[in-house]
Amino acid sequence: MLPFIDEIMRYDSLSIVGLEKNTGKTECLKYVLDRLPVRQKRMAVTSIGIDGETVDQVTRTQKPEIVLREGMFFGTSEMHYRQRRLVSELIDVSDENTSLGRVVTAKALTTGKILLSGPSSATSLKRWMTEMRRLHIDLVIIDGALSRMSSASPAVSQSMILATGAAYSANLSTLVSKTTHVVDLVNLELTDEYNIHRFLPIERGVWFIDGDGDLHSLEAMSSLSKDIRFEGMDDCKTLYVAGALVDGFLEKVRKNKSLKQVELVVRDFTKIFVSPQQFRLFLKSGGRIRVMQKSKLIAVTVNPTSPSGYVLDSDTLCNRLSEAIQLPVYDLLKNNEN
Amino acid sequence: MQLKNVIDSPCGLRFMLDELELQSGFARRWLLDSPMMTSGEEIMASYDILRRFCDFIAQVEKIHIDTLLFKLQGLKDIRTTIRNLSQNAVLDDIELFEVKHLAILATDVAKILNQHGMDGVVEIPALDKVIAILDPDGMKIATFYIYDSYCAQLKDLRNQMRQHPDQQDDLLLQASDLEEGVRKDLSVQLHPWANAIEQAQIALAQIDVFLAKAMQMKQMGLSFPILSSDGTSQYVSMFNPQVKETLAAHGREFQPVDITFGMRPTLITGANMGGKTVVLKTLTMCQLLFQFGFGIPAASARIAVKDEVYFCIGDEQSVEKGLSSFAAEMKNIDAVIKASRENKKLLALIDEPARTTNPTEGTALVSALLKVLTGSGMSLVMTTHYDIEPGEARCLRVKGFENGEMDYQLVEVQDGEVPHEALNIAQSLGIDNEWISMARNLLEASPQS
Repeated sequence: MLPFIDEIMRYDSLSIVGLEKNTGKTECLKYVLDRLPVRQKRMAVTSIGIDGETVDQVTRTQKPEIVLREGMFFGTSEMHYRQRRLVSELIDVSDENTSLGRVVTAKALTTGKILLSGPSSATSLKRWMTEMRRLHIDLVIIDGALSRMSSASPAVSQSMILATGAAYSANLSTLVSKTTHVVDLVNLELTDEYNIHRFLPIERGVWFIDGDGDLHSLEAMSSLSKDIRFEGMDDCKTLYVAGALVDGFLEKVRKNKSLKQVELVVRDFTKIFVSPQQFRLFLKSGGRIRVMQKSKLIAVTVNPTSPSGYVLDSDTLCNRLSEAIQLPVYDLLKNNEN
Repeated sequence: MQLKNVIDSPCGLRFMLDELELQSGFARRWLLDSPMMTSGEEIMASYDILRRFCDFIAQVEKIHIDTLLFKLQGLKDIRTTIRNLSQNAVLDDIELFEVKHLAILATDVAKILNQHGMDGVVEIPALDKVIAILDPDGMKIATFYIYDSYCAQLKDLRNQMRQHPDQQDDLLLQASDLEEGVRKDLSVQLHPWANAIEQAQIALAQIDVFLAKAMQMKQMGLSFPILSSDGTSQYVSMFNPQVKETLAAHGREFQPVDITFGMRPTLITGANMGGKTVVLKTLTMCQLLFQFGFGIPAASARIAVKDEVYFCIGDEQSVEKGLSSFAAEMKNIDAVIKASRENKKLLALIDEPARTTNPTEGTALVSALLKVLTGSGMSLVMTTHYDIEPGEARCLRVKGFENGEMDYQLVEVQDGEVPHEALNIAQSLGIDNEWISMARNLLEASPQS
């Protein structure tokens, strides 16, 4: 058994996120569900889908069935609950409607298969997780959807596993550098407590702290605003972007002489939409990016096979990636065979 | 007429509903669907119940109230399920779960209320039998599945499933037939209870609504009205909760108003900014609150029941629909006149009719309107800036601008002569002096003055 299973147990929530379809996210979920000590802890699993569709919007393939073990709690849609292939006890039916009906929470009484399709937004997912806490669930596992990084947001889950692979890029170097970029973002350090305390309630706009420690608004709706001007900010030490952080803004900050070595704070890594190039240039010029909420990246898994059939060498991929991100990297399929 | 038909009346009734702390979405829907009460007995009976709930929240420890409110949050809309049950359909697991959940909720709520002497205030049908049907192991928790104890054979199959996961698909198939048999059996057993379950759901919504109304009365300082049997209504220290709240946010106080009206038409005149429109809005709102059984924003109120309530105000919504403001207003008032010819108890509140046309025709229209509606037996309250002959109408006047301050009280005057204070008020607002003095000069030069 791979060592990260023990580490998962230290957190109250885990999201599993794939960087692309066919990067082995479902394999990873299955691996985790098969091995977690279900007798020691109360566990609940759900999925955040694009309105919980049965057929994946991107690849038109059927969503996979997950095997749940006796004693596990799960959240899925009414429609998928009716199609379940296990015996389970109904615990709750939510008021919220998805395209597949309401979200149903139940407990598996036998081992068996279920199609997972849970709450349809990060907000309703959070609400569902609160409900799980009320049921004294120790660990919630979220099957994060493709292009739905928000389900991996630290505001939602404490820890995460990232699935990457040849489907993300069939070129080894590109795959490593693209994955490293995401890992760098996930691993961004926390800003200090005082900043967190000050910024957390601010949900929009761009703000800065001057040399006297006073907070000022930049009068811009977001970092996307074209007419952002950095004036009278010679003694600015900290910039806070409440919403999305984008390339253009980062470049402006980097090119502004008075903002050398500024600390740029964002809510969490899911708010960062900058290219690897701009990101690296910014760090090189002495700037720092910090976050207010952070989730623990437990492991990275790889699927060396791309859907088109191209196969990367598993060991080389694991080693190269592991070296680049300084974290263990696993090929779960290969590990399963051994 | 249902509450949802009048909730967006320009009188501001929605504010009261928005401020109502309902626990469940179902109670809100039920309230919006509830019809306006038009019988005095029914209204007073509803206030008797509300009084019990007011006493309940005043006397019972907060923790019990919070528990009750928390329970009511679990009230769901299961009308589809109940309909299926009453039509002899076989309920699926989710529907059976919903029935059990509701039955346990109803029993729990009844228990809390009974413990505090509230038994029978709102009748909740006993659903112990329903719970027994859906809780064969007597666990008393609101979860559900087709329990092993329903069928020995099912129990065997499930045990086999656990021992032979490889044969799971086969076993599940066999089990699903047995489960369907149990569902059929349960649905047959539950069928006679469909009506009681529906009653329980409505009772819980009513309790949610009564509790919310009681809390609102306490929070806003609302009062219980007395039923008036002579067709007149009387308010002492009436206030508008929304305006009061807005003023309070700016550190100002709402000046309550006393008003009596009814058998004779009532004409309100007074300076601009004298609160005439607020009085009409509040009167309309109070009448609706009364007939939907809410607390009344006044120190005391004696209110007559009406069959219909008309509130005519320069309505911007109609203007958005493409009608000119004059056309919209004429059509609204036309509806009042038509209704006045039917044998119904009406209340009409008309704000500055014909205000958007020229004063000569406007005055004629308003004078004629007053004549047409006088003697129709309706309660009419109308505001105007035009000098009209009051006839039989009672005239009230806003006290108006005194010593640089507005006095919003209404005083009875003998004729409908309107005060000429517009220029003084405009001046006090700091409006351009050239404009106002020129207007003053023109007035003095005109032959009328």
